[in-house]
Amino acid sequence: MRETAELYFNVDHGYLEGLVRGCKAGLLTQQDYVNLVQCETLEDLKIHLQTTEYGNFLANETNPLTVSKIDTEMRKKLCREFEYFRNHSLEPLSTFFTYMTCSYMIDNVILLMNGALQKKSVKEVLAKCHPLGRFTEMEAVNIAETTSDLFKAVLVETPLAPFFQDCMSENTLDELNIELLRNKLYKSYLEAFYKFCKDHGDVTAEIMCPILEFEADRRALIITLNSFGTELSKEDRETLFPTCGKLYPEGLHLLAQAEDFEQMKRVADNYGVYKPLFEAVGGSGGKTLEDVFYEREVQMNVLAFNRQFHYGVFYAYVKLKEQEMRNIVWIAECISQRHRTKINSYIPIV
Amino acid sequence: MGSLFRSESMCLAQLFLQSGTAYECLSALGEKGLVQFRDLNQNVSSFQRKFVGEVKRCEELERILVYLVQEITRADIPLPEGEASPPAPPLKHVLEMQEQLQKLEVELREVTKNKEKLRKNLLELVEYTHMLRITKTFLKRNVEFEPTYEEFPALENDSLLDYSCMQRLGAKLGFVSGLIQQGRVEAFERMLWRACKGYTIVTYAELDESLEDPETGEVIKWYVFLISFWGDQIGHKVKKICDCYHCHVYPYPNTAEERREIQEGLNTRIQDLYTVLHKTEDYLRQVLCKAAESVCSRVVQVRKMKAIYHMLNMCSFDVTNKCLIAEVWCPEVDLPGLRRALEEGSRESGATIPSFMNTIPTKETPPTLIRTNKFTEGFQNIVDAYGVGSYREVNPALFTIITFPFLFAVMFGDFGHGFVMFLFALLLVLNENHPRLSQSQEILRMFFNGRYILLLMGLFSVYTGLIYNDCFSKSVNLFGSGWNVSAMYSSSHSREEQKRMVLWNDSTIRHSRTLQLDPNIPGVFRGPYPFGIDPIWNLATNRLTFLNSFKMKMSVILGIIHMTFGVILGIFNHLHFRKKFNIYLVSVPEILFMLCIFGYLIFMIIYKWLAYSAETSREAPSILIEFINMFLFPSSETHGLYPGQAHVQRVLLALTVLSVPVLFLGKPLFLLWLHNGRSCFGVSRSGYTLVRKDSEEEVSLLGSQDMEEGSNRMEEGCREVTCEEFNFGEILMTQTIHSIEYCLGCISNTASYLRLWALSLAHAQLSDVLWAMLMRVGLRVDTTYGVFLLLPVMAFFAVLTIFILLIMEGLSAFLHAIRLHWVEFQNKFYVGAGTKFVPFSFSLLSSKFSHDDNIA
Repeated sequence: MRETAELYFNVDHGYLEGLVRGCKAGLLTQQDYVNLVQCETLEDLKIHLQTTEYGNFLANETNPLTVSKIDTEMRKKLCREFEYFRNHSLEPLSTFFTYMTCSYMIDNVILLMNGALQKKSVKEVLAKCHPLGRFTEMEAVNIAETTSDLFKAVLVETPLAPFFQDCMSENTLDELNIELLRNKLYKSYLEAFYKFCKDHGDVTAEIMCPILEFEADRRALIITLNSFGTELSKEDRETLFPTCGKLYPEGLHLLAQAEDFEQMKRVADNYGVYKPLFEAVGGSGGKTLEDVFYEREVQMNVLAFNRQFHYGVFYAYVKLKEQEMRNIVWIAECISQRHRTKINSYIPIV
Repeated sequence: MGSLFRSESMCLAQLFLQSGTAYECLSALGEKGLVQFRDLNQNVSSFQRKFVGEVKRCEELERILVYLVQEITRADIPLPEGEASPPAPPLKHVLEMQEQLQKLEVELREVTKNKEKLRKNLLELVEYTHMLRITKTFLKRNVEFEPTYEEFPALENDSLLDYSCMQRLGAKLGFVSGLIQQGRVEAFERMLWRACKGYTIVTYAELDESLEDPETGEVIKWYVFLISFWGDQIGHKVKKICDCYHCHVYPYPNTAEERREIQEGLNTRIQDLYTVLHKTEDYLRQVLCKAAESVCSRVVQVRKMKAIYHMLNMCSFDVTNKCLIAEVWCPEVDLPGLRRALEEGSRESGATIPSFMNTIPTKETPPTLIRTNKFTEGFQNIVDAYGVGSYREVNPALFTIITFPFLFAVMFGDFGHGFVMFLFALLLVLNENHPRLSQSQEILRMFFNGRYILLLMGLFSVYTGLIYNDCFSKSVNLFGSGWNVSAMYSSSHSREEQKRMVLWNDSTIRHSRTLQLDPNIPGVFRGPYPFGIDPIWNLATNRLTFLNSFKMKMSVILGIIHMTFGVILGIFNHLHFRKKFNIYLVSVPEILFMLCIFGYLIFMIIYKWLAYSAETSREAPSILIEFINMFLFPSSETHGLYPGQAHVQRVLLALTVLSVPVLFLGKPLFLLWLHNGRSCFGVSRSGYTLVRKDSEEEVSLLGSQDMEEGSNRMEEGCREVTCEEFNFGEILMTQTIHSIEYCLGCISNTASYLRLWALSLAHAQLSDVLWAMLMRVGLRVDTTYGVFLLLPVMAFFAVLTIFILLIMEGLSAFLHAIRLHWVEFQNKFYVGAGTKFVPFSFSLLSSKFSHDDNIA
């Protein structure tokens, strides 16, 4: 069956794969970035983007142009593309797409709950939500007071429901608990997604597993980094680590014990993949750990396009597009705030 | 027609436009569409160019106009087809126009916003009345089903509930009522149940009217719901859930009087709103009507303006910044027109210093311009689809006009089918000014664009159909057959003759299924049919054998003539490009190679046709064997076609063999000799060329003193290409490849022309089958019922004829004819490595944009 899966791939998913590869070819090139960086105003940026695949997506925006307008329009565009993919997909690709949206849904739920905690109006927070992770029940999130409430009343019918198994508690939702909830949800989500890809087998597993492993390890490392100097206990910290990465189990154990960046780095040094990343931190151009991770992610996603007959290209495309949007927003922010010295520290997509 | 033979000669001109008049000049040029601009700022990114601000302004105007058009079409106001092409607005009017449009936009947005607000208000009120009407029935029902209230814990003691009791509980009992979209009802109910753990009662009913959704503007079905609950906490939750599902919640009246009051109040407010809304809509309509008058011409004007600034962005500034320099390709014939346009532009802007132009020498290859009319356009498109001709090379489109329909017709030869095609094309040609045809989409447009091709294809098919004597697969006996059947009877001949020949008598007629006519018997064959194939063959069983032999030979003859013609056209190219050596070293050997082998084959075919009659046909040698023997020099004696054949063939073969090395080595060796010869005695001369090149560069620099670096670099690059180093190996390689391709191609291409025979055979057989399977069946039924059967059979026959024989077969013959032209004919002489001349013309522009508009 393993060999024949490639034979039949195109019957169900050939069109979409072709489409996504075409979309990927429309990503901004290095030359585009060079030109974008030279822009003096956001209007210039708009004019240049018109010559690219974005077309005149800003044509009907009234002046003055702001960064957030550009951002929402770009998101809308990505969302349109994604919806198109999703509407034309067949099983199991459509499940794969659902998994892809889950991460955005988690982010949105957390965002809404934080908003409710700070007594912001739902509309205001909704505008900030990522359109890819939108679902109907989302707006009712703030009626819940505890996690189990949230699960039972609101999210039981959404794709997020299975991820709640580990995090049912009667604690009231304060800021820390929400953050814990987010990480726990993310942990079970990543593990479930990883399992899905692994079970699917074939090239999809070969491509997606390393990407998700990296994602899991990145989360573990970032959680560790962020928990320094907070009241999070080391045992709690360990429960938040996704266990599908390369660091599992020894690395995670060590990470749970780490107390500062140096110790964390020592843990990472044991792994051939992460050692060079940590060495690059703070090197030329003052890169942060996050930047380095992004660069590595982009690299993996670009490489995903080298194989055929797998679902990883869809994941990779959305991630690359997101990175591109982050880059454009970064450049636009630098332009609008007249902060040109750092304009070049976007993450190139090669 | 002279212009169709070669593309027009072009020259590179520099326009010096005074910055004050540049806009007007370009406007005048754009109206005429004479020149193609070269981008002098290629390495400047789009937002760093000179006129970005103006382009941006045009885009802003375009945005407003798009908004206006959108509003106008939404209000169902017809857009008047204004002046077809108003000129680009003068600069002084642009600001005014911009102001006008912006004011209009602001006003329109305001009014529309008001209108939307009013509508929304109205909608809410309407929803509210609906809700009140329907919830009233809920309440009645509730009263009827009193026992339901028993379930509530607060009511446990009161087993019997009356209305006053409910009043008493009213303080605690809360109601939320409103409208919800149909699709969300189920999820809403489930969520309510889960979140409130069942402590709510939801009643809902479908609204019989569909209402507009204020968020999307769609008209959808709604449900009215009423939720009753106890306690404030649950009330909060319910309200939040209602928000989440985008319900429209309205206050629920507690008493009947209140309900009546609200209803009355609503009714009056709705009526008020209606009148206000009507007034607003009327006003909006007025504003839009006024805008609609000018919007079309405005759209065109803004487009022209934008195009002008785009072109200006391609120009470079001179050092003083007073003058714009543009480089344009212009057909030499149009130079006076260009001058006039510049003068016109300067005059219009009232500038003191006129803009002027001068031509500059260049070594770059100019773009190719072949002027076409509506008749030649289609044929030119066929050629261009293969490749746009190199500058000034022979354009095969001229010959394609005749050869293409002819080769098509050879494959499609049927009088009836050709006539139907001709009629269809004639219909298109006669109605070509009809707007629906020229704006039609996709397939019909394809036919429309190729209407003249179709017309000629139909005509030629009629001609070849007459030659093949095929009309819907049946032969037509126009002139009377040349064969006389009665002459075959024994009774019509004398006794001696009867002994010599095999004649028919009554018993042969009675007993044999097929009868054979013998042309040797006097009186049977009375000479050839005057035009085309004798209709008697339609009855013959050996018809196919006869036609195959004829069509095969015909296609070989046509193919070789076609290809030889292609090689001869190559000579015209060599003459024009001053490469005479190519004629002697390439074209002549090519023609010799072709004619000595395949020309001789044609000779043999025709000779055999002429030299052998019916009597001598038994001794006639096979051409195929003769042709093979020509290469094999067989020792055994054959009869041969004519005396001295062996010698002639040997000479021809020698010529063929000799022409091959010339073809392979002639051109490279000659070029090598030329190169060496020049370097041998012409040291001074090469020095001279060097000097001249420098001075030329200086001259051109003088001409364009202040050209930007980029264009200079570009020109240098081009010059480098022209004085490329002599590379013997490469020339030898190219020539070898070309020769191999040609020699092998001669054989394979000749074989390729056999498709003429194959397709014509297929077409004839297919139409024959159709006739035999359908019409013959219909015609065989006896007269009483035949009429009823014949009608549907006729219809079926017609449909199949059109779809299979005309469209499908026609398409296949069309494709094969295209292939024969592209591959077999054009590779003999056509390079097709040019770029098309795309003039800066408003006419091209507006048509393209109006198409966009249609989509929007």
